[in-house]
Amino acid sequence: MSLRFEILKILGDGRFHSGATLGARLGASRTAVWKHLHALSAWGLDVYAVPGKGYRLAQPLELLTREGVLPAVAPAAHALLADLEVHPHIDSTNSHLMRRAAAGLASGHACLAEYQSAGRGRRGRHWISPFGSNIYLSVLWRFSTPPAQLSGVGLAMGVAVARALRTLGVTDASLKWPNDILWQGRKLAGTLLEMSAESNGPCAVVVGVGLNTAMSAAAAGAIDQAWADLEQALGEPVPRHRIAGLLLSELLLALQSYERAGLNAFLPEWRALDDMTNRAVRLQLPHATIEGVARGIDDQGALLLECNGATRRYAAGEVSLRPLAMPPTSH
Amino acid sequence: MDIRKVKKLIELLEESGISEIEIHEGEESVRISRHPTGAAAAMMSAAPMAYAPPPAAPAPGVAAAPESTKDSLPEGHVITSPMVGTFYRSSAPGNKPFVENGQHVSAGDTLCIIEAMKMFNQIESDKAGAVKAILVENGQPVEFGQPLFIID
Repeated sequence: MSLRFEILKILGDGRFHSGATLGARLGASRTAVWKHLHALSAWGLDVYAVPGKGYRLAQPLELLTREGVLPAVAPAAHALLADLEVHPHIDSTNSHLMRRAAAGLASGHACLAEYQSAGRGRRGRHWISPFGSNIYLSVLWRFSTPPAQLSGVGLAMGVAVARALRTLGVTDASLKWPNDILWQGRKLAGTLLEMSAESNGPCAVVVGVGLNTAMSAAAAGAIDQAWADLEQALGEPVPRHRIAGLLLSELLLALQSYERAGLNAFLPEWRALDDMTNRAVRLQLPHATIEGVARGIDDQGALLLECNGATRRYAAGEVSLRPLAMPPTSH
Repeated sequence: MDIRKVKKLIELLEESGISEIEIHEGEESVRISRHPTGAAAAMMSAAPMAYAPPPAAPAPGVAAAPESTKDSLPEGHVITSPMVGTFYRSSAPGNKPFVENGQHVSAGDTLCIIEAMKMFNQIESDKAGAVKAILVENGQPVEFGQPLFIID
């Protein structure tokens, strides 16, 4: 496995390297090099092989390092950061921190990974995690409040991601209840939170964020929904260390602010970023589907859905836009 | 029957979420129903849609719901929901449930997941014992303080 990262470090410059050169530099056989190069496409990387020239990546790759990310963390957030782990390869950054949380890991511990073999989306859905292309960041935070007061943390984290994006120059991101960050109606980032708690607190919460920075063609083909990446939104590549540092800063600051003031501190901003308000939507519940018009969120973060003249609140479900039915022909 | 006792029963009924109660004491009996006939069923189907905001400061020991409904539950240690959300018995659709009826669990074993707005809360058993009852169906909404499992 480590040989594969050594190969990637060399190919990260985006130039051609022959199998023989790679083998010589790393003290490995050409066959071993070839096998690892082959495995890179399974990680979602586009590798070009050109006879006579060798191998190169479709685009240069800036691998994340702890030393690279830390200087990009805002000074105010540094005090909240217990430590930062950067893994080339991990099952899931969320699972990793949940496991370590059970063993007493400190609040404010963060984890970044280049590749997640079991990246988790909603309810066990696989989150597409191509190697080194996107940002997968998880942060552990310990709250002294009981779980009932923490159901809005996910919404607050959506606002935090939108703030980081704004600093990077994406001014037109929006939020889709409860956990998607959109750009031009397409998914740019998502959050997933896990918690372990006793009934009346304290609670350990792991916030996971997946942000598409530059999806490769190989990985993009496997995504079953409309997506966007940061490179499209900005029209140019952004240094990954800067993205990771800003994202980490905003998450830490938002977690601290939620601990002090709860969801109230985020409600006006969330509502201003809401992509769905007053649009016709479909809410998929485990055993039912409800169609109505989204009316924003209430002060606890529940979705307000107007259906047959009555507005109800929902704490769970998947929202999607639905095509408008033909209006009644009364006019 | 003492009118104060009847008043007490009405209060109990109101706190508990039970729709009807009948008490026999020697020759006397009293039946108190919360809803006119037919309304109870309508309430039941509407309830899953309702969403109770979390109390501003839920103090331990004063959560009314689990206390007052305990009488109607089987004997044993009650695991209640710490938050409003959706109840899941497995980690993902199609996966094996965390626990089955009758299964022995240790303290710290995961019993279920409660999801609220994409926050997945793993509920662990705080007591070792056998799962005596699973009180909620997979995928159903649950309220704060609602009993989920009986461990004995």
